Amino acid sequence: MAASLSSKTTNLTSPPEIHLEHRRGNTNSSAGSLRSTRILKLLPVLSSFCILVGVVWLLLLPLEDYSRKTYISENALLPGQVHTYFGGSEQNVFRAYRNEVGALGANSSSGGEMARVIGKIFEASGLKVGRQKYSYTAAGEEIHGENVYAVLQAPRGDATEALVLCAGWLNMDGQLNESGVALVLTLARYLKRWSLWSKDIIFLITSDSRAGPQAWVDAYHDLHDPPSVASLPLKSGAIQGVVVVDYPSVRSFESLHIVYDGINGQLPNLDLINTAVRIASGQMGVRTTLQEMWHHNDKYQDRLRTMLRGMVNQGLGHASGPHSSFIPYHIDAITLQAYGEGRHDEVTLGRTVESLFRSLNNLLEHFHQSFFFYLLMANRVFVSIGTYLPSAMLVAVNFTFAAIGLWVESGKKKTKTAPLVAKAEKDDEKEISQRLSEAVPLPTQTSEERPMLLPLAFVIIVHSLGFIPLYIFNQLDEKYLTPVFYAFGALNVLLPPVISTLLALTFTVTTVHFKLIKCFSLLTLGMFLSALATLNFSLSFLIGLFAVPFTFIRPFPEKKWTAGVLSMFLLQGLTPTSALVGVAYYWGEPLGGILKEAAFGWQVWGMWTQVVVWCVWWPAWVTTGVLAAASWNLGNEEVW
Amino acid sequence: MGRRSLVVIIVAVALRLVLFAAFPSLPDLLTNRVEISTPVTSFKRLQEGLFLYTHGVSPYDGGVFHQAPLLLAFFTTLPSSATATNLIYILLDVFSAYALINISTSGISVATSNRKDAQFPPWAVSAAFLFNPFTVATCLARPTIVFTNTVILTAISKAVQGHGAAAVLALAMSAYLSLYPILLLPPMILLSYDGLKVPSGGLGVYAAKMTGVFIAAAAGLLGLSYLITGGSWEFLASTYGVHLLLPDLTPNVGLWWYFFIEMFDSFRNFFLCVFQLHLAVYVGGLCIRLRKQPLFVITTLLGIFSIFKSYPSIGDTALYLSLLALYRHIFPLMRYAFFATSTLLYATLLGPAFYYLWIYAGSGNANFFYAITLVWSLAVTVIVTDALFAVLRDEWETERPEMRGKDVIRI
Repeated sequence: MAASLSSKTTNLTSPPEIHLEHRRGNTNSSAGSLRSTRILKLLPVLSSFCILVGVVWLLLLPLEDYSRKTYISENALLPGQVHTYFGGSEQNVFRAYRNEVGALGANSSSGGEMARVIGKIFEASGLKVGRQKYSYTAAGEEIHGENVYAVLQAPRGDATEALVLCAGWLNMDGQLNESGVALVLTLARYLKRWSLWSKDIIFLITSDSRAGPQAWVDAYHDLHDPPSVASLPLKSGAIQGVVVVDYPSVRSFESLHIVYDGINGQLPNLDLINTAVRIASGQMGVRTTLQEMWHHNDKYQDRLRTMLRGMVNQGLGHASGPHSSFIPYHIDAITLQAYGEGRHDEVTLGRTVESLFRSLNNLLEHFHQSFFFYLLMANRVFVSIGTYLPSAMLVAVNFTFAAIGLWVESGKKKTKTAPLVAKAEKDDEKEISQRLSEAVPLPTQTSEERPMLLPLAFVIIVHSLGFIPLYIFNQLDEKYLTPVFYAFGALNVLLPPVISTLLALTFTVTTVHFKLIKCFSLLTLGMFLSALATLNFSLSFLIGLFAVPFTFIRPFPEKKWTAGVLSMFLLQGLTPTSALVGVAYYWGEPLGGILKEAAFGWQVWGMWTQVVVWCVWWPAWVTTGVLAAASWNLGNEEVW
Repeated sequence: MGRRSLVVIIVAVALRLVLFAAFPSLPDLLTNRVEISTPVTSFKRLQEGLFLYTHGVSPYDGGVFHQAPLLLAFFTTLPSSATATNLIYILLDVFSAYALINISTSGISVATSNRKDAQFPPWAVSAAFLFNPFTVATCLARPTIVFTNTVILTAISKAVQGHGAAAVLALAMSAYLSLYPILLLPPMILLSYDGLKVPSGGLGVYAAKMTGVFIAAAAGLLGLSYLITGGSWEFLASTYGVHLLLPDLTPNVGLWWYFFIEMFDSFRNFFLCVFQLHLAVYVGGLCIRLRKQPLFVITTLLGIFSIFKSYPSIGDTALYLSLLALYRHIFPLMRYAFFATSTLLYATLLGPAFYYLWIYAGSGNANFFYAITLVWSLAVTVIVTDALFAVLRDEWETERPEMRGKDVIRI
């Protein structure tokens, strides 16, 4: 002890380098402590570095050098290799059907009139017809309707495999899908005549584009709720592919918009999209667009925007079209949307679908060759998971690094000289020498006993609190959603300071407690985000970005009126509630609409974005808020 | 048993009852998880076996049921309601906790250490077992590994109290249920010998006697099973044969299934022998090196089983971790506890995620899940070796107090 004290005094006066060498030579363990001190100092830098690299990585992806051109992996598909015969007199049939559809009108579907009339048309084409009633309750509103479908039994198949051609009576925007439905009816009549089908084809007209497909596909796999969603009277084999036609206008269209996002950010096999793009643009000469990027010049900026729009869609995890409901069942599905006004008419779209079905008919096994994890940047440019995953993982891993650092730090013995260390902060080497001399009486790294119980209990309780907003926002009636949301938002602002004060009043919390709380919270966050990155990359990345400041915010007892206040304000911008308000503002949609959509997604689609928001992101935010608010609850002598 | 222990047990029972009652679909969901239910412990397969058994068909004919015949006899005597079964499993957890409390109260785990004051109190040990999420999940999923775990813990608690014969009987039961505990016999004999108040005769005589009891008990159990299954030895091949020969390659958290899927058939027998021998080789070495702490030998062996046995599940890991809680005093000496725990937690989250990608989403494949089981096994391995290191270090520091806190370099 005496030796260590004297060495401390000499250390402070002697040049740092010499002192360090001296220490290293002296005992092994102090060299170890030096190393760990250095690593500890490096950890925040490492965390920032991870975030920086993660974000830059993502921004580099659209560059020519990092993205790849799409290609058809499954050779059996042979896209665009067949001559298509749809046309001629079929156009007259199409017009007749379109008049029928128009005469029925948009409101005929929920009552079941649509299913009856369309069923008759299918029957007239010589197909077996089934109808299905369904009703759902979401956000206090009842959604009901009746789907109708017909099965074309494959002349060359054994009813073990099927393809689905689908059109929603109403599209995602609630418009009557006049030409789309008519086209499906025409194609049903037309494709029936061919003898080359080796897979059954199911023609499905769903009552709407949101609940209808979900009810149908659930019932197809016997995973429906029998009283509210009826069973299907007629079934075929395993569905290999789904194409949805969305063509509400009666005029000719300019380009085809391919929608591919599934529920919870799952994507269809890239081969299906590639096949559609090749057939449309190569064989039919129709321009294809993605992610509502109507004008795409294939330069960096447009690619980046396409990618980011795709990521937002994927991250939200909602249904982007009737096809979305099929994807969780491992059925590859896309929606073809006719966009704009131009020179292409329904015959072109019909021929595209015909050619697409001829390709799908060739499939020898389920889509598996190409990618399931990808980001598309233009209709023929993509990056695959191996290239993009590191960016989300790096963001997620920064939390883990920070947690490790806090764990090691929290185990270090605090001595009375701690404030001295803080003063010496300006001079790095001096600080190291200070810590070193403290470490001398403790030759090995035997760490101090950590008070684990309170931090663990705190983190667990805060995480289970997340179930309250999750439950509230999924079960409430529509009319209460917005007021309750605002009330919750206000409460949310007050929650961290209140918890922090309560914590300080009930327990004697010290810096070590807060370090451990932060450590466990960041560890959990990093863990959830990296697991999530494998399931829904975009959601993980987006939440990771919002959570980045959590790594750096801590109690600032010594700078409470500057850093403390600043971090409290910064945190208000990072909560799920303000993010939701931001999203509502950005899209120009009412807040209630988004909340209703979320509740609908939870009840009908089995969307779990909310779970991630309320049980992963929000608890991490509350914990960080408590830490920031603790600036006022920790004594001035406490040093982080 | 103190008041705190009682409170812990009551809260744990209440938690399980609430989980069973409030989430009726949760037990079935967990029963289907490959991490919890293995072919040799699955509750679903048990029900299948019970159905066949009560309908007069041999359950061992089909290759579905691989569990001990006495379990069939036991479950047929129960009222066939889900509640009764759930209560049995809750009761088993309580018995396990009770055994742990007894072991902890005896202070056997710190007997040879200088750090006696750093021990967990008995209620904390039982809480560490009862509130471990792995234990809770295992209880809810109702695999028969719970029976094995309870019997093993009972055996240890009997051995600690010096009731050698009872301990060995219980051990015979656990070996009868899932084979591998047979390897715990040597340390169990040592443990019960050390627990004797008045050792009569030498260790050799005692060991011979206990081995005799074990063989007799095992023979008795097998004979009883023979009678139950209608006079047929068929059950041997479809219970212990399955443990030994691995015919069912359903994924689990262990290392065997993938390895033997990939294996060419001509090497299969060789590697089966190697894998099985590998489990056995630890017994002798650990017993000799840690002669003074046979309980830690048992703990370590259970940890090794939970990694390397043919059909491990998280229930095995839960048992190991619960015994590790008795060694609270060596935690400060462990070097990688935080990293290993984090890795374990990472694997716990990523495992189901990758399984989902493989089986349901179809966008992943078997390698995803296997990679995570490797990570899981790595984490448990690190904990096992680190705890072993810490115990040796503790032993050394007890012998040579002047070396406490000094670094050692192996030359």
